[in-house]
Amino acid sequence: MRLALYVTCLVDLMRPSVGFAALRLLEATGGEVFVPEGQTCCGQPAWSAGNRPFAADLAKKAIGELEAYDYVVIPSGSCTDQIRNVYPQLLADDPQWGPRARALAARTFELTSFLADVAKTAFVAPDFDGSVTYHDSCKGLRGLGIKRQPRELLLTVRGLSLKEMPDCEECCGFGGAFSVKFGDISTKIVDRKCDSIAAAGANAVVGGDLGCLINIEGRLRRRGDETTRVLHIAEVLAGGADS
Amino acid sequence: MASAKYSQAMHFQARAGEKVRNAMLQRALQKAKPLFVGKRAKGMASLAEDGLDFESLRSVAKNIRDRTLADLDVWLDIFEERANATGAEVLWARDGAEVRELVVDIARRHGVTKAVKSKSMLSEEAHLNEALEAAGIRPVETDLGEYIVQLAGETPSHIIAPAVHKTISEVEALFAKEHGRALETRTSADIPAMAQEARVVLRQHFLSAEMGISGANFLIAETGSAALVTNEGNGRMVTTLPKVHVVITGIEKLVPTLEDFATLMRLLPRSATGQSISNYVSLLTGTKRDGDHDGPEKTIFILVDNGRAKLLGSDYQDMLRCIRCGACMNHCPVYFSLGGHAYGWVYPGPMGSVLTPLYTGIENALDLPHASTGCNQCGAVCPVEIPLPALMHRLREEQNERGLRPWSERLALKTWAWLAGKPVFYRWFARRATRYLNWLADGSGRIRIFGLAPMWTAGRDLPVSSGRTFHELYSARKKN
Repeated sequence: MRLALYVTCLVDLMRPSVGFAALRLLEATGGEVFVPEGQTCCGQPAWSAGNRPFAADLAKKAIGELEAYDYVVIPSGSCTDQIRNVYPQLLADDPQWGPRARALAARTFELTSFLADVAKTAFVAPDFDGSVTYHDSCKGLRGLGIKRQPRELLLTVRGLSLKEMPDCEECCGFGGAFSVKFGDISTKIVDRKCDSIAAAGANAVVGGDLGCLINIEGRLRRRGDETTRVLHIAEVLAGGADS
Repeated sequence: MASAKYSQAMHFQARAGEKVRNAMLQRALQKAKPLFVGKRAKGMASLAEDGLDFESLRSVAKNIRDRTLADLDVWLDIFEERANATGAEVLWARDGAEVRELVVDIARRHGVTKAVKSKSMLSEEAHLNEALEAAGIRPVETDLGEYIVQLAGETPSHIIAPAVHKTISEVEALFAKEHGRALETRTSADIPAMAQEARVVLRQHFLSAEMGISGANFLIAETGSAALVTNEGNGRMVTTLPKVHVVITGIEKLVPTLEDFATLMRLLPRSATGQSISNYVSLLTGTKRDGDHDGPEKTIFILVDNGRAKLLGSDYQDMLRCIRCGACMNHCPVYFSLGGHAYGWVYPGPMGSVLTPLYTGIENALDLPHASTGCNQCGAVCPVEIPLPALMHRLREEQNERGLRPWSERLALKTWAWLAGKPVFYRWFARRATRYLNWLADGSGRIRIFGLAPMWTAGRDLPVSSGRTFHELYSARKKN
């Protein structure tokens, strides 16, 4: 089984530890793991901004780099949604790229859904001392139907207890460019998320999308919460959250 | 198309800023949100009692709406013919100006000095109240929320809860002033008493008005009827007491049969307020007949286009399925950070972010399609499966295609897309960027003021990594 890890531009730039954690998790499945060389960004920022030509160019680039593998795995619901749900519609009318987009979409998985539904290997996560609360990111939840998988995986971690927050399915207010264009609205939304996290009273908030996590961590710290840890689920499952 | 003259949508950004800082408004919104969300969830869960579920029911509802829209012209003809047969008159208005002319003309012909109103967002689209006042006719809003908003000299901030932006103490101040009494301290326990106070005032208006103006939740082609879904009972007064009843509604509100209406009624009240059925459901057909105790002597339908017909067959046709339940705004994180007025025109929330640019001009509402995190909480609850984020996305594309985005954004996007297409340069740039961010963080792991994205750090820190990119660390590791 040849697995491609697509680390995402945000992980590359902002938190490499998530990429290495995902790498260790994929290696533990027994597959042969590759980090395809030319990968940059899936093109979602262009798509979200409404720029179809740029989004299509970057989609073709990603398809070329990723289609040779049995599976492509991404530690992000948002980028996975872009490849699984957007690429096929973006290139639907292209007789050459349309079928390639659809083929890649079918083999591309968000990390937790790959681990729980496809690889199904029992791996031993390092112990985690404390409680966590899980934030369902929008594209993963409503775009890909990921809800059960991260919780299943978290519950295999020894020492970890899961404390659900109220409104865990509510948006955190990140939304990519939205959080920069409409910073004050975004802050208002993430404030409500921070209230929910506080209500859960867990030691850490865990999620599957770095965009949401940076947004949440940024607001928690600004509010003066220096103790609640903000972790990507890969970091919890593979360890390395402290590196 | 609707006139952009009345729209404030171009000032969304500035108005949004004011709204997030308005403590009174924020209090009102935070109180309302869990109520809306919780009631709808309960209402949908109750479908199970009838052996139904939301997902399959909404796909039936979507099909009803799509089937109607596919032959809208035919159904409109049938509606007109059946309505005429019941003694009602059917008039057509291309836009808000024509609505104003028609209504003022009807009022003059019937010697109307006062019109009582219920439930018509289209009269907001047409700015009808201003035209009536200018013609010397007093419009009185009779839905409690609309009444409050009219007293305040405002516009509705929500399509089914027009005064949701107001707190009890604000309403109390309005009532004390308008009803000529001393100000009292009010809590939510006083709401029934306050509603009663308004009822007493409104009763006089119902009895003295010569004309009733209402909207319609649906028009039913097979019977030529208007369906009105309400909770306060004022709708019945407006549509039966005055001698003239004018129904103003959009051409897309049509459904072919009573059975279709019954299906949609399983979803509309549940989506809006969580009720399995609203307190009042009226089917208004024709005029007062011999032997009827009440009813208007004259019933006139004004069916309005105002930008709707041009959506048929366009990329935006799905939007015409909308049944105006308000669930999209009730589940929208942006709406509940701002309230409805920030959106600048008649319809707020996700449906407004689609309709305002379509009805008042894409170039007159540039921010609205971007005022979304793309979370799809709206699409997930829409009872007629309108893909609201996809429609907002299509509007963003159209802004790009028509060169309506600011040059700075286009340049940034172009530079970024070029870089992302060239891995070698991209890696170099990413290495520089991560070092720069790390330098700004100055060992603290976070940036507190970031000049390149000031809006981000106005409310949040920006957590940063150790100053090395993943790909840089990964290739170093492979070499070892």
